[in-house]
Amino acid sequence: MPSIRIVVCAKEVPDPDAVNSYAVAGRLEIGDDGKTLTQTAIPRLMNAYDEQAIEAALRLRDAGAECRIDVVTAGRDAASLLRHAAALGADEIAAIDVDASAIDYHVAARLLAAYIETTGGADLVLCGRQASDDDQGVVPALIGERLGMPLITVARDVQLADGSAVRVTRVTPDGDEVVEAACPAVVTVSSELGPPRYPTARQTMAARKKQATVLSPGELGVGDEEMAPRVELVRQFVPEIHGNCEMVTGETAVEQAANLIAAFRESGVLS
Amino acid sequence: MSAVTACTWGAGSNETEELLTLARKLSSDGGGEFVWAVVGPADAAALQETAGKHGVTRIDRIESAALESYGADAYVEALAAYCEQREPSKLLFSQTFDARTVAPRLAGRTNTPVVMNALDLASGDEGRLLVTASAFGGDTRAVYRVAGDRAIVCVMANAVAAEPAGTATTPAIERVDVTPAGDERVRVVEAARTEGPRLEDAQVIVAGGRGLGDAANFALVQQLAEALGGMAAASRPIVDDGWTDAAKQIGLTGKIVRPALYIAAGISGASQHMAGCAAAKTIVAINRDPDAAIFRYARYGIVGDCVELLPELTKQVGR
Ligand SMILES: Cc1cc2nc3c(=O)[nH]c(=O)nc-3n(C[C@H](O)[C@H](O)[C@H](O)COP(=O)(O)OP(=O)(O)OC[C@H]3O[C@@H](n4cnc5c(N)ncnc54)[C@H](O)[C@@H]3O)c2cc1C
Ligand SMILES: Nc1ncnc2c1ncn2[C@@H]1O[C@H](COP(=O)(O)O)[C@@H](O)[C@H]1O
Repeated sequence: MPSIRIVVCAKEVPDPDAVNSYAVAGRLEIGDDGKTLTQTAIPRLMNAYDEQAIEAALRLRDAGAECRIDVVTAGRDAASLLRHAAALGADEIAAIDVDASAIDYHVAARLLAAYIETTGGADLVLCGRQASDDDQGVVPALIGERLGMPLITVARDVQLADGSAVRVTRVTPDGDEVVEAACPAVVTVSSELGPPRYPTARQTMAARKKQATVLSPGELGVGDEEMAPRVELVRQFVPEIHGNCEMVTGETAVEQAANLIAAFRESGVLS
Repeated sequence: MSAVTACTWGAGSNETEELLTLARKLSSDGGGEFVWAVVGPADAAALQETAGKHGVTRIDRIESAALESYGADAYVEALAAYCEQREPSKLLFSQTFDARTVAPRLAGRTNTPVVMNALDLASGDEGRLLVTASAFGGDTRAVYRVAGDRAIVCVMANAVAAEPAGTATTPAIERVDVTPAGDERVRVVEAARTEGPRLEDAQVIVAGGRGLGDAANFALVQQLAEALGGMAAASRPIVDDGWTDAAKQIGLTGKIVRPALYIAAGISGASQHMAGCAAAKTIVAINRDPDAAIFRYARYGIVGDCVELLPELTKQVGR
């Protein structure tokens, strides 16, 4: 089987569980610029779906595919993300040197596609189904269109058929669907793939020595005129939920249940 | 001439009328003509009735043999051809499962800015589109400004309540010629098959969360669901822990449902969970913690132990 190249696109995001804990506690705040979360205690992590995209690549390697796995991020200060990717077994770790807050997903996709094209192309591009900060889920489609590759979304399982085709089990609202496309293709990975592995301490140590390739947009052939964001975040706010909850009381569970059912009958929720 | 174009395919649904409502709002907010583009086969009389009710000025029928059933490549190609011919300035989709693929691909194909998860749209300074979208799994709202005068937007279910126009119209129907090749690069090897009834169609759902305390207690959720003639569902943590199967997960990364009645037992009300059920007509929350976020979404709340309450409710409902 010929060796293939898998490129995994990975983005750094604020830890969604931490953001969520603040939100649930009603303590999520937006800073003076009107758009950035103020909580400095929120750690930055690799987007969980992107970790699963790396996991999908590693499983292909485990299954015997002869492959090179390269992990790329568009954004600077991504050292810990890239180290994690290296510890997991990435052959190349690469960062595109841009201020992630100054670009939009179109620019991100343009840069990632340019990285793939100028570094030898890819047989398989693996992405997360969406980034847990913006939840957009558009970058993989934009990369696919740019590179003329088909897109397969929300994978729970990714298999290679002799390196020239990819077979994917997708999670759809109607149940699992199995699809196949010739390589090269873009595949987005969903949480149903299962938990990603952790690197061992030894792998983590060894990864410290691995040098990241750092590329500027110019080196990728992306000119300034292509760097202007067209979708610009101008404001972010925490939504207010206006409740109108009627508390159903009672001394015991028996009473509470009876009162709830009475309330249902009164309001026509249950006939 | 600029146009706000709502685009749908397949059978009309609740979401179609919501989309038309939002598109009309944007078009009267200075967005231009209000067009409804329909891809593939549809009943003309029904289309005209719905369109008229919502004040649509023109229906564009995008038809071709290759569009008779959904195929991502054919749909993207047909819509790209449509965009070239008609130059819609704002193209809006309901964010269905397939639209999540088609909209961003079309954006890439036609080099148009795209925003997903939209909840509201407005014309800002110099007529530039402002899109309010859900972010961080619903924990925040992001307001995006789109440069230029073209945009593709996917609107979430329940973003707005469907509402007919003040004055009805008699929209003209125009056919738009497209000739997509019709060979899909992604081939379906095994079609999805629904096993049994779908949560998406359930009128009553009883959902359990980590507050159940123990895997065995998921049976209490199932028993109440059965007594009410509904279906059982779950929050993500108990799916992750294997208390029930993944098909029952409600939320951002699970199913999005809109039953008449949603009973949430031992669920805290994280926005990622509520993303899947906030549109239920009546939400009932059973939680031990009187400050739980779920009570902000609920119509009825009980502060108490769900392990005691669920069987009691099952018993009394049965009477
Ligand atoms: C990117 C991302 C995507 C996510 N997607 C989803 C998703 O699709 N669906 C989803 O559900 N979650 C999702 N989550 C997780 C979500 O943020 C919450 O962590 C999750 O919904 C919490 O589940 P829970 O309410 O069951 O558990 P908890 O938050 O632990 O809440 C348990 C609740 O039970 C109450 N309780 C405890 N004991 C009892 C008792 N005996 N009787 C009554 N009440 C009791 C507690 O007061 C508490 O409110 C996602 C998170 C992220 C970061
Ligand atoms: N800046 C980035 N660098 C690398 N990959 C990215 C970046 N932005 C998005 N992606 C990839 O695209 C997926 C979807 O992101 P999004 O469209 O932003 O929700 C992510 O899960 C990543 O795989």
